[in-house]
Amino acid sequence: MKFPFDPRDKRKQDLDAEIQSHLQMAARDRESRGEPAAQAAASARRELGNAALIQDATHDQWRWGWLGALWQDLRFGARLLRKTPVITAIALLSLALGIGANTAIFSLLDSVMLRMLPVQNPEQLVALGMRTPKQGSLVNHSYTNPIWEQLRGHQNVFAGVMAWSARDFNLANGGEAQNVNGIYASGDYFNVLGVRPLLGRLMTSSDDTRSCGGVAVLGYGFWQQHYGGAQSAIGSQIQLDGHSFPIIGVTPPNFFGTDVGSRFDVAIPICAEAIIDGNNSYLDERAAWWIRVMAREKPGQSREQTDAGLAVLAPQIFAATLPPDWKPEMQRSYLKRTFVPTPAGTGLSWLRRDYERPLEMLMVIVALVLLIACANIASLFLARAAARQKEIAVRLSLGASRARLIRQVLTESVLLSATGALLGVLFAKWGGALLVRFVSTKQAEVFLDLSMDRRVLGFTVGIAILTGLLFGILPAFRATRVSLTSAIKGVEVQGDAEHSRFHSGRWIVSLQVALSLMLLVGTGLFVRSFRNLITLDPGFDRQNVLLVTTNVHNSNIPPTQYVALYDQILTRLKAIPGVNSASQDWFAVMSGYEWNDDIEVEGQKPPAGEEPLVWFNWITPDYFATLRTPLLAGRVFDGRDTADSPPVAIVSETMARRFFPNKNPIGQYFRNGVSQPLMSSQPVQIVGLVRDSKYGSLREDNLPFAYVPLAQMLQVPESGVFELRTGVTPAALIPAVRDAIGSLNKGASLKFTTLEQAVDDTLAQERLLATLSGFFGGLALLLTAIGLYGVMAYAVTQRTREIGIRMALGAQPRSIMNLVMRDVAALLAVGVGAGVIASIWVARLVQQLLFGLKSNDVETLALAAGSLVAIALLASYLPARRAMRVDPIKALRYE
Amino acid sequence: MTKRYQNRIELLQGTLDLLVLQTLRWGPQHGYGIAFAIRANSGDVLQVDTGSLYPALHRLERQKLIAAEWKTSDNNQRVRVYRLSAAGKKKLASERSRWAQISEAISGILNPSRESEA
Repeated sequence: MKFPFDPRDKRKQDLDAEIQSHLQMAARDRESRGEPAAQAAASARRELGNAALIQDATHDQWRWGWLGALWQDLRFGARLLRKTPVITAIALLSLALGIGANTAIFSLLDSVMLRMLPVQNPEQLVALGMRTPKQGSLVNHSYTNPIWEQLRGHQNVFAGVMAWSARDFNLANGGEAQNVNGIYASGDYFNVLGVRPLLGRLMTSSDDTRSCGGVAVLGYGFWQQHYGGAQSAIGSQIQLDGHSFPIIGVTPPNFFGTDVGSRFDVAIPICAEAIIDGNNSYLDERAAWWIRVMAREKPGQSREQTDAGLAVLAPQIFAATLPPDWKPEMQRSYLKRTFVPTPAGTGLSWLRRDYERPLEMLMVIVALVLLIACANIASLFLARAAARQKEIAVRLSLGASRARLIRQVLTESVLLSATGALLGVLFAKWGGALLVRFVSTKQAEVFLDLSMDRRVLGFTVGIAILTGLLFGILPAFRATRVSLTSAIKGVEVQGDAEHSRFHSGRWIVSLQVALSLMLLVGTGLFVRSFRNLITLDPGFDRQNVLLVTTNVHNSNIPPTQYVALYDQILTRLKAIPGVNSASQDWFAVMSGYEWNDDIEVEGQKPPAGEEPLVWFNWITPDYFATLRTPLLAGRVFDGRDTADSPPVAIVSETMARRFFPNKNPIGQYFRNGVSQPLMSSQPVQIVGLVRDSKYGSLREDNLPFAYVPLAQMLQVPESGVFELRTGVTPAALIPAVRDAIGSLNKGASLKFTTLEQAVDDTLAQERLLATLSGFFGGLALLLTAIGLYGVMAYAVTQRTREIGIRMALGAQPRSIMNLVMRDVAALLAVGVGAGVIASIWVARLVQQLLFGLKSNDVETLALAAGSLVAIALLASYLPARRAMRVDPIKALRYE
Repeated sequence: MTKRYQNRIELLQGTLDLLVLQTLRWGPQHGYGIAFAIRANSGDVLQVDTGSLYPALHRLERQKLIAAEWKTSDNNQRVRVYRLSAAGKKKLASERSRWAQISEAISGILNPSRESEA
């Protein structure tokens, strides 16, 4: 390929002619002064100096001279890379994986942690939290509607305040639920954010008044998917949980809501909660915490002014919204609450709490992978640079400057890393989407805007250049530092070669071994913690259980008849062929929902500093049989336990130990005085004791748990979960379950999952870490093997003559092998030693991400070091064997 | 002869441009001629390194201070001849006065006036 901009070749010929004419004139002058012709020409040339160097310096003065040189370097670099296709392919692949992985993880980190919301002046936004003096630095972001209404009505601290609450709405009228991500938004929500409508209009404060009729604003993606982007959507009605709302507008494509990690589909005003929830509305509930609040700061107002304003506002608002039935000490601390604004230009996200550490961890892991890849390519390039020594010596003696040659080698490595980065970006695009799927669960689908913004692009370009320099700089300097005479003659200056070239290759390999060991230790820790979690006995059997979440809100029957309906449903479900046993409870295990209350035990004061908090669930008699949780003492519920019989409960081991230490819990009594009107405040007698089981997550400590019978509940909620144990695949039951419940009540909405899936969903974070670190650990192992193989193979080639001499003098093949392997052993010893120390030091940082093992776990460390050493020995065995088979005659005749 | 050779001075960076422009004031000249003229006019004291001369010529050409064309010399040889452009003349004038200022200032420092010596 020719350089496309410049008629350079013509100009070069011109310059050459110009310098030739200079020489001729100089020679003629000398001749005229009496020098012999031959001598005159030689003196003129000597006086001129290095013609090539002069030409080079002159080229640089031409316009675009540097660009031409760059183009030349690039062409030459590409040609060299093509000449060694295996090395180039290995380098490109490891760079693409390394840079791609870094870009993917960084873009995830960027969209979860760093990216500003696409709204007006996002830096002015603050999330408003509340702090209770007793709780120290803990900031609570959940509000009740009465507090929000007071804040909205009385604040003058901010330019504007807005509130929202995420809530799934069901589009279907009965049958299997078709959920969309909804938000209840305050009337000013879009206004305060500064989001303009794409179509129609957005809500205003006049849409959000008590006893409103409700309106709906659609998100762009939902509008595209469900309405095909039709204008006619505006003005039509949308059914949410069986209530219809007129659609008034659509938001722009880049606005996804203020909860980073999900995308809102439809927004309705907060006042519409009364329509959706009817009599159970939270709007006047002073102890229902379901709203989040953000505010826009007044431009130019100082932090002190804001704090002062909030300090005046807080006591008034909390006095006006005091929950009346709270205990006096809780009321006192409620009145002392203060407001805490924190910057929220990047939105709010539950993902941050759960994934900040894992994402940082992954960033470290992929950075290590890239470093290992760099070390790998550097050692491959060093070997290649040695092979190019003769060429470089020739160029240097022909007048190329060393800086120019270094520039050429660096151009070549940056060309390589840039190509790698390009492939990496493609890999990252695919990998990023895969990562989001990893984090997503059936219960909490994650949506992230992974479009490449300036920050991600800058990051990728930055690391591409940096890696190019990192793996290029050592070979570049090493390659251009040659002894001209010996290199051209092709003679190795033995001691020198041994000492310099070979040694720098050495420490790179040791470094690589150390880095790989760190990575492998991380891999081992994450994989083993994950295995500890999935093999943990949770106290129930997760296999073959179908979970059916029902909601009978729109079933047109009064709440008093819910129990009867549930009873009928359960009977029908038990009759389905393939169902071995079936039960119902309120909040299933691993559902993310829980019910807990303080209890009182007759004649027992709760120990100081410990709250008598107990987790509750109502269940039907076959619950423990269905989940296969063993009954340890007493009995399970049965037909004796009715609404009219004395209240009974079954408790867990932890509850028995905590409240009835050294006593038989069976026959003991406790009271739940707080949960009225759900359950009776009469003393409850314990009739059974069951094994502890995990409830909210596999990582939690066992909870003190009390199960009460559904039949004795005073009030039954509109939603519940049926558990069906089967001998067949759980999903195969779905059609039969849908028909059975549909034939009893068409309005009941249904959601299906399996118990196994529900448990899996709680492990998304651990699975992500284990899978990715496993993948990258394997990659590091492979790269290290390749690097070691390359360096040892090169070393053997370099020492062929020496080995030949040794063999000619009578050395046995075995001792030659030992000679080579001794080298490898030394490299490994240094690398493993440094790696172990570094691993122990770094692993402390991941302790809180681990489960069931310590960060300095000896077994993991030994396993990582062992597998690394094994792979490394295998990789260097091949060159060592080749050394053993060196033919002394050939080796000596080599020159 | 040897003594004189030792007295030759390497040219200061930047002054070469000035000398080239000044030399071309007497008429168009080729590279070898310019080098020869500078050496001769300085009484063999200033030695022009060819490795600096040609880059300087091509740099001045790019800056449009001089223009070049191929001509055939007296003894029938193709040579590249440079001549001063209008912009080059202006540049020469300003560089000359700048040089005059500098050399006056430097000689002021090196030769303090008689009054202060007295």
